[in-house]
Amino acid sequence: MSTPTQTEAPTKNEPRFARVRDLWNDYLPYWFMAPMVIVMAMITFFPGAYDLYLSLIAEPTLNVLNAEFVGLSNYETAFTRGGAIHSFVITIAVVASALLLESVLGFVLAALVAGVDSSGAKSFYRVLFIVPMAVAPVSLATIGRIMLNSEIGVVPYLIDTATPFAAPAFLSDVPLLTVILLDTWNWTPFMFIIFYAGLSSVPETLIEASRVDGAPLWRRYLHVIIPYMKPVVFVAMLIRMIDLFRTFGVVYGLTGGGPGTATQLVSINIYEQMFINNQPGVAAAMAVVYLVLVVALANVVIAKVGFEGVWD
Amino acid sequence: MATQDGTAESATGSQRLEKGTRETLVRVARHGVLLTWSFVVLFPLYWVVSMSLKPPGQANSLPPDWVFLPTVYNYIQLAQRGEFVAAFANSVIMVAASVVLVLLIGVPAAYVLSRWDIPRERDVLVWILSSRMLPPIAVVIPFFVIFRALNLFDTRIGMVLMYISINLSLVVWVMKAFFDGIPETLEEAARVDGATRFQSFRKVILPAAKPGIFSVAIISFIFAWIELLFGLVLTSFEAVPVTLYVYSFIGSRSIEWGMLAAASTAMIVPVVIFLIAVNKYLAAGLSFGVVIKE
Repeated sequence: MSTPTQTEAPTKNEPRFARVRDLWNDYLPYWFMAPMVIVMAMITFFPGAYDLYLSLIAEPTLNVLNAEFVGLSNYETAFTRGGAIHSFVITIAVVASALLLESVLGFVLAALVAGVDSSGAKSFYRVLFIVPMAVAPVSLATIGRIMLNSEIGVVPYLIDTATPFAAPAFLSDVPLLTVILLDTWNWTPFMFIIFYAGLSSVPETLIEASRVDGAPLWRRYLHVIIPYMKPVVFVAMLIRMIDLFRTFGVVYGLTGGGPGTATQLVSINIYEQMFINNQPGVAAAMAVVYLVLVVALANVVIAKVGFEGVWD
Repeated sequence: MATQDGTAESATGSQRLEKGTRETLVRVARHGVLLTWSFVVLFPLYWVVSMSLKPPGQANSLPPDWVFLPTVYNYIQLAQRGEFVAAFANSVIMVAASVVLVLLIGVPAAYVLSRWDIPRERDVLVWILSSRMLPPIAVVIPFFVIFRALNLFDTRIGMVLMYISINLSLVVWVMKAFFDGIPETLEEAARVDGATRFQSFRKVILPAAKPGIFSVAIISFIFAWIELLFGLVLTSFEAVPVTLYVYSFIGSRSIEWGMLAAASTAMIVPVVIFLIAVNKYLAAGLSFGVVIKE
């Protein structure tokens, strides 16, 4: 699109203004891209490079030339005494289980709501099911603390009185499961709304054709609807996966990483190394490993599943 | 889409009367599951709201006082806490400013990515997405240092920058997909009529992309509104967001449950009302344009 602008020729009495206008229009893509590229460079390259630098020096300093480089010793500390391996393992476990749970639940709910025949009931469910997204993870954590508390919580009380089971001590016995369940409550709406939009776009004719062929319901989903929706499912899961890796607020508010290190996800561990143990080098080393891991994982997913439909 | 399962048959087929019983069963099962999930969604919300309306001393009684005389005592207490009001105002101002700015930066860029042949476009898009892959904790350490050096620590401007960093990639991705779905012939027609590129963008493309812009603004608002970590690390007093204030209720020895519930409610309710008001745009925006072409 390098054709000259279609503006009418500048009139004689405003040549300077016309020149500015031509510059604006001729280079429009550059003007439009520049702020985004600058901000993006600032928020990707700078922190990445700074974390890398910080992970290789003994003491943080703003003076790059005077830094005392210590090689990989911060990495060694992170993995030997910093609990990095434990943090990575439980983070991956939380990401995988919550992603699976939220995707399946979100899809089932979306399919069920899409099939509701009364438009009033349909929009009731659709609006209600996205509401948990509005709850900040840290608020959810406080609500969880109130409702799941072993002594004063309503959930253990109801389980104890209304069912034959004894309620577990959610925050101390099964803290990881509690984190996963709270995150599922919080973010299934995200999957729900995307899948709902995706389902609504599957052409009637396609479904009709498979129905005429006599395909049972599950085959219709497995062989017609889900393949058609693949790009939507893929983008939703990719974005959710990336965000799940960032999980912080709900754990910070609910257990603060405990009891012990039971819920010490990588983000919590890095936070503690940096701001409580005062070991920025170790924190940065973990952040670098984390970053490499997530970017690599996302790239594998992107390469494996492909992006057809997302870009032309 | 209402015809996914048994529902279309009921509309079209009088020849399938024998299916009537099965259809009823399907409908009952469907609403059974949906109502169960509705309960799961509503119960915690009901609980926190009702707790915020209970008089002190009644908030945590077990067995729960299902029937009680609602009082706004907790809210009055909360409103009298200057810190809470300040934090709430901080959040509203910082989040709103960040949404406006992230749209101004992201939407034009997304338009270019959609319309021009960018070299290595795929890599550019993955690079943009990678800003979301950076764990906030890895971003926050460098910014903690640089903010102190630049006097941006504990300022609203600093927080607005961080909120922009959370949302920019999402704005670009969603809007790029949205612009892809708007036919190019629209702006070509405007161009033939003598409009400049910028004029055709402003007068033709932007109005057509309104639902997308609207929904991406909502999503950006929510993601910034619920953010805790940046406030935790990059503020101390002046620019504290409301999420941090809610957190400050817990962790201490004695927890004021009623106040905590009132603060949580105050944080949730405006966003829920907002969400309900704009819910029809949300689906369009969150579909990432992948399906909008149809």
